[in-house]
Amino acid sequence: MEEIKTDVLILGSGGAGLFAALHVYDNNPGLDVILATKGLIGKCGCSRMVQGGMNVVLNSADSVDKHFMDTIKGGGYINDQELAYTLVSDAPKAVHELEVKVGCFFDRAENGEIHQKAFAGQSFDRTVHVADLSGIQIIARLTDQVFRRQDRIKVLEETRGLDLLTTAEGDRVVGAVLADMRTGELIVVNAKVVIVATGGASSMYKISAPSVDKTGDGMAMCFRAGAEFCDMEMMQFHPTGLLAGQSRLSGSVLEEGLRGAGGYLINGLGERFMERYDPERMERSTRDRVARAGYMEIMAGRGTESGGVYLVMGHLGSEFVEKKFPGMCDRVRDVGKELSKEPVEISPTSHFMMGGVKIDRDCQASLKGLVVAGEDSSGVHGANRLGGNGIGESVTFGRRAGDTAAALAEQELLRPFRQEQVEEIKQRWLKFFKPTTGVDIYPIRDEIKNLMWEKVGVVREAKKLQEAISRLNGMYEEAQKAYVTNRTLRRFNMEWNEIMNTINWITVARMVANSALLRKESRGSHYRSDCKTDNENWLKNIYMKKKGEFEIETDIRPIISTRFSMEEIRKLNVQY
Amino acid sequence: MSSQEIKARIFRYDPEQDVEPRFDVYTIPVIKNMAILDVVFHVQNYIDKSLAFRCSCRIGMCGSCAMYINGKPRLACRTQVSSLGTSEVTIMPLPNLPIIRDLATDMEPFFEKWKKIKPYYVGKPELKDPVVIRPDSDEREFIDQMLDCITCGCCYGACSMVATNEDYLGPAALNRAYTLVADKRDSIRVERLKAVGRSYGVWRCHDQFNCAEVCPKNLVPTKSIQQLKKRCVMQKFGVFK
Repeated sequence: MEEIKTDVLILGSGGAGLFAALHVYDNNPGLDVILATKGLIGKCGCSRMVQGGMNVVLNSADSVDKHFMDTIKGGGYINDQELAYTLVSDAPKAVHELEVKVGCFFDRAENGEIHQKAFAGQSFDRTVHVADLSGIQIIARLTDQVFRRQDRIKVLEETRGLDLLTTAEGDRVVGAVLADMRTGELIVVNAKVVIVATGGASSMYKISAPSVDKTGDGMAMCFRAGAEFCDMEMMQFHPTGLLAGQSRLSGSVLEEGLRGAGGYLINGLGERFMERYDPERMERSTRDRVARAGYMEIMAGRGTESGGVYLVMGHLGSEFVEKKFPGMCDRVRDVGKELSKEPVEISPTSHFMMGGVKIDRDCQASLKGLVVAGEDSSGVHGANRLGGNGIGESVTFGRRAGDTAAALAEQELLRPFRQEQVEEIKQRWLKFFKPTTGVDIYPIRDEIKNLMWEKVGVVREAKKLQEAISRLNGMYEEAQKAYVTNRTLRRFNMEWNEIMNTINWITVARMVANSALLRKESRGSHYRSDCKTDNENWLKNIYMKKKGEFEIETDIRPIISTRFSMEEIRKLNVQY
Repeated sequence: MSSQEIKARIFRYDPEQDVEPRFDVYTIPVIKNMAILDVVFHVQNYIDKSLAFRCSCRIGMCGSCAMYINGKPRLACRTQVSSLGTSEVTIMPLPNLPIIRDLATDMEPFFEKWKKIKPYYVGKPELKDPVVIRPDSDEREFIDQMLDCITCGCCYGACSMVATNEDYLGPAALNRAYTLVADKRDSIRVERLKAVGRSYGVWRCHDQFNCAEVCPKNLVPTKSIQQLKKRCVMQKFGVFK
């Protein structure tokens, strides 16, 4: 088994992973970096898929305090306020760096300054963008900058993380075991610091938005290593996922700028149903409320024939829609519809995890040597994320993760890894090649997606959550009996990959379902049909970590309200 | 075979095991809005789990799933089965690249050439802030429409000059070079122009527009290459600085 020693190991090549790599290098070009990515560099994960854009305060009439208040209001006030404030105050620096140093060129307004468009749930039009497919440019340019620094940043493509390596005491991460999926060979990377930035696991739902490779691997690895998590019940459903039957196009997001520009939603009866749910903000309400409204309409039998509602753009004029949203128009054309002319069927789609690994402002997780950035982390968005704060989190915290890792790598010694732990990890993931018969992983994978959608979905209740937890535990056991059909083929084996994905999905899904059962109230994207919002008792975060082999230990603590007090929040009496 | 089914001939090849490639034929039920990506996923998930192909975003943004579909390089995710107008589809790996296994190609030669043109922006040191450029000015020429490249390699697979000249940089890398050479914010434009102004660079392009015909983003690399050629000449005469 190949062994590599390095200063910093980065898992993931989205906005967080790429920016972290640049910042490690730019802080200290003498440090060695390994950047391992599950797909091709800059092509896998979801930063690449960012459509709408990034929220940032650039205009003197706007302020970081306003952006902060929008972010915690949108988040149901349970955000870690220090992290939310870090996001809004770092975002202008990140956009500046993207333009001036990385070489992005965001769309310009008539006066030649960077254009900022309207998104939902915000008090100011502050979303910078490149037409309606912003991620392509942000990620392509960051990737080019990594190529420029390839003397020290070694890129391992189609190489997924399997598990983190820890010291015997279990309080420090000292590297990871990876799998080169092209050869099927395992690699041990011994590192002073590991940055986990692989993204979330919302692909575990029947209708979902992320790329197919994003399966919560980083979160699952961190859980198995014993890191602390926070607010795992907070799973965002985006209100406008394209409905395309069984095709994999289904669930892909039609961007929020469409609603920002004046697009509206109607149900199967032609009613503009947001009037019933948020008459003030209508379709420009936050994602949690709009997604839930759409779901309620569908469940009440007022949906379309294929179980959706409609997004309407035609009234804005087809020329305007084609010009402002060329990517969305193209996408919808693939399913035979004209977005600029006719209503298009949409559904809530599982999209983003607000919960994740607990970090501080420097992206430091509860284990030493473990730095986490982007969707894998928690706290920034609270109970619901604003559109445009996702790529914002990736780049701002990616930069910070790189700075932290560089500083730690300069101070720390390379600590040895434990060979017996490597053997254990090897056995955990290679055992699926041994049996000649066993469980077919694909039906289990399909079942997870249905189970999560039906029992841990947009609207939740205790009984269904308990059923889901029990079934997830059962599926975990079944997945351990999975086998790879072609036992001698380790090279580019997609079945082996899917077995590992499935085990990671279940690992993360158990945290989501257990946390959802614990939060006995409705808030943000977590809506319980059996519990109302409870501002007296539930201005709290739910923490989790592994106990023993696979049990979950939980802890409920008051929110981190360093800037806007609990008394002030209670006065607002927010209800979901 | 009913009209609700299609026949997929899929290229199979394991360079480490097989003497030569073969085609396996699968009959697949057609679903609504079925893309070629759905076809290969159906085969891999439910018929032959050993099939290898690459896919990530599945909505035409990442450029991971370019394949040679019914004789043309296309993105599997954005090629609707119904658009092919036939009940038989032949799926092969993208041409001009080494094969890892089946439909998964090794894109390294493509990216090695991408790296040769110095694809990274190096801003002029005096530019401390984002530049003010009005959208109605001609400052950006047609850079911005050409920046939408997703490095899928369709153009590289379609280019007959790439097919016959191992060293030719190819349409995508040259298009990227144009977007930087024409970007007045960049400080190494002349250096980069010199890197592409060679026989295996811009002069190898014979204006066949194969790249433009297959680009899933409707870019026209040929046009970018023409702009580079023009600047190479200007630079020789000392007019481009």
